[in-house]
Amino acid sequence: MDRESKSGQKTFINDLIIIIAIVIAGFALQIAAGPFDYSIISFPVNVILLAVMLLLLLVKPSGSIGRFGSAKVSVSLLAIMTLMCLYMGIVANNGVKTSWPFVLIYLLILINIILVIGKRIRSFKWSDYGFYLNHIGLFIFLFSAGLGSADMQRYFMRVYEGKVEWRGENTKTGELTDLPVAISLEDFSMDLYPPKIAIIDKRNGETFPAEKPALMESFEGSYGNIGEWSVKVDSIKDRPRVAPAAYIIAKNKNNGETLAGWISCGNYFQPFKTLDISDIYCFAMTFPEPKRFSSKVEVFTKEGLKKSGIIEVNDPLTTGNWKIYQYSYDTNKGIDSEYSVFELVRDPWLIPVYIGIFMLMAGAVTLFWKGGRK
Amino acid sequence: MNWNEFIFFALISVVFWYTGVLSLYKSKSKWMGDALIIIGLLVFGSFIVALWQSLGHPPMRTMGETRLLYSLFLVLVGYITYRRWRYKWIMAYSVAVSTVFIIINLLKPEIHTTNLMPALQSIWFVPHVTVYIISYAMLGAATIGAVIVLYKGTEKRMGYFELIDNLVYIGLGFLIAGMLMGAVWAKEAWGDYWTWDPKEVWAFITAASYMLYIHAPKAGVSRKNSLWILPLAFILLLITWLGVSYLPAAQGSIHVY
Repeated sequence: MDRESKSGQKTFINDLIIIIAIVIAGFALQIAAGPFDYSIISFPVNVILLAVMLLLLLVKPSGSIGRFGSAKVSVSLLAIMTLMCLYMGIVANNGVKTSWPFVLIYLLILINIILVIGKRIRSFKWSDYGFYLNHIGLFIFLFSAGLGSADMQRYFMRVYEGKVEWRGENTKTGELTDLPVAISLEDFSMDLYPPKIAIIDKRNGETFPAEKPALMESFEGSYGNIGEWSVKVDSIKDRPRVAPAAYIIAKNKNNGETLAGWISCGNYFQPFKTLDISDIYCFAMTFPEPKRFSSKVEVFTKEGLKKSGIIEVNDPLTTGNWKIYQYSYDTNKGIDSEYSVFELVRDPWLIPVYIGIFMLMAGAVTLFWKGGRK
Repeated sequence: MNWNEFIFFALISVVFWYTGVLSLYKSKSKWMGDALIIIGLLVFGSFIVALWQSLGHPPMRTMGETRLLYSLFLVLVGYITYRRWRYKWIMAYSVAVSTVFIIINLLKPEIHTTNLMPALQSIWFVPHVTVYIISYAMLGAATIGAVIVLYKGTEKRMGYFELIDNLVYIGLGFLIAGMLMGAVWAKEAWGDYWTWDPKEVWAFITAASYMLYIHAPKAGVSRKNSLWILPLAFILLLITWLGVSYLPAAQGSIHVY
């Protein structure tokens, strides 16, 4: 081993001691100060931290701070982060996200990445574009997603049909506050999948056969086999505000026995109806599952913006700095729900996050384009 | 088309694949093995297409359906890698592993036809899952290579390192792409791109362990030693894919199916 790598070894051990010391300090802070409160890094603290980190680009790679950008440090930090995430992935209610050691390692990773970038930039080559896309993209993404999350505001808003609402419930604290956005709900609507027909074990409510439940779609004229029964749907009752019901004719394939009658899944004011086969088994209808639900709304902001549109799952509405998501509805009443629940999100760091994602995506393409070639 | 007919398609494909691999080793014909493998892929693929049509949505919703796609993509990736690098073993192994997944699907289908819930009705659904499955297939192939080198030693196998690295880089590229597509989709569906949901945590763990493999040689770990990361990383990958639902941390996750 020559002298340079020997001294490299020594600085790495120093760096490792620093990392371990920081983790231990994190645990101490955890005990002394309790879980990490993200609001302490909200604006302007996160922007100041960003400025400090960008200054690290100027640090000399061979100096004592610059050495923290070595590959050994990167690998150690990545390994520690992976271990923490293993804990997060196995233990329920683990609180890792809000723990000091996690936050500190996250910050060290950001510092390490910025130093690595600073080092590489000194011998800039266009052919390193894959490296830059991946590492700068990762830095932008990790910074904006991690430290930017402190500036994210999220509220639930429950709006009744024909009413206007401007109060939102903070998703974390549950506090009710007046928001700069108001929503008027013109209509909440829902499409359902047809309910299904099953044989149910009356003792425990489980579908039959237990291992591989056989469910049959129910619409007029549909037919199918459940166990030893061949079932045909003779007619369907499906009117607004009335629980769906089907008149079925079931024939036992073994002994020719025939059963017929109405079955219904019931709803919030009508009882369900089953068709008995024996003391144990009966034909029953499952609740229809939602296919699509959406809210026709008009949105107003304090600045006087007005926007109308339809909000549904996977299709939020953007107005000013806010994005409005379809979140929920009255699940007891389902299709007859008289209100709609929205989630309102304001994330000032969203654009940098998308820039980071875009760069990483391009970086991923270079990974499978170039393979392992250096 | 439904799952009851799967066994016929599976049997025909597997017979084509095995005779294909056999003729790669034994037959003097240059095109025989290739032709048999491709026919097997077409038969298997046609079942997936027909199933897709009869379901009315892509067969990516249930565990059984993702395994079905994996069986196809593993053989496809194995075949492409074989064409590129001329390693017959990778073709043989990918067919063998694919068969395991086919058998699991025949014995324990986990395919109760579920309706597609609103959150999954998105343009991101198909690319997100497909890209992941391709990545899993690549990384599975890399693991096979790593195990062979670790088991038989590195002599005369230096070329394997290049192959394994290529597979890992490509697989990790797809893995990261899948994760980012998931993030963009999650933002549209739930208002946040990353919430440390258990499946996300495990996806991160998987990606991080492959990143460790890539960076380890730069930190002075020998190539042979860093190979040990690959089987470990693949176990973590399998937990992400198949095991998360059984973990205590995952109760109440939006990703469990």
